[in-house]
Amino acid sequence: MGRPFFRRRKSCPFSGKNAPKIDYKDTRLLQGFMSERGKIVPSRITAVSGKKQRELGQAIKRARQIGLLPYLVK
Amino acid sequence: MRIASDRLNDIKEAAVPLYEHVFLARQDLSQAQVDALAATATEIVEAGEGKVVKTETWGLKSLAYKIKRNRKAHFVMLDIDAPTGVVAELERQTAINEDVIRYMTVRVEEHEAGPSVQMRKTDRDRPRRRDREEF
Repeated sequence: MGRPFFRRRKSCPFSGKNAPKIDYKDTRLLQGFMSERGKIVPSRITAVSGKKQRELGQAIKRARQIGLLPYLVK
Repeated sequence: MRIASDRLNDIKEAAVPLYEHVFLARQDLSQAQVDALAATATEIVEAGEGKVVKTETWGLKSLAYKIKRNRKAHFVMLDIDAPTGVVAELERQTAINEDVIRYMTVRVEEHEAGPSVQMRKTDRDRPRRRDREEF
């Protein structure tokens, strides 16, 4: 057991070399950052950096607008 | 003074904005009608001294939610290189057209070279993966 509150330091999935580019057309990538209900997952869970999370949010919202992604999944 | 105005022209040329225009056509249109819509859009852009760099038809895709009673729609994307007024005119005419159920124009820093993600992936409809970075 050891350290119960220890969390491994996570790094942003969009930084570093050959990181995926955030694009509203890439629904598969964006879906990985949405919950089953269709909500955007907070960055504290996905470890996305603040800057990239804002880009991600915008991309998801754009994809929703043109019907590529759902606003909510019932 | 001449030098200054020349430089201003250089700046203007470099600053022609790039856009991506996506529109969704009604599901009961034929592919030929969709292509005609894309051609009309191209004409509008070219009439305003803009350029359509690339036209992509993503085909009939199912929508994540119903839009104007359509469950599916034909997706078309145009990569546009044009002054701002042209985009306003394009959006105005697109909004009037009843065959287009939705459209969106996004300004981009640069156009993607080659086909976009939508064209690349063919195994799109397999069940979505549920793995996320560890919690």
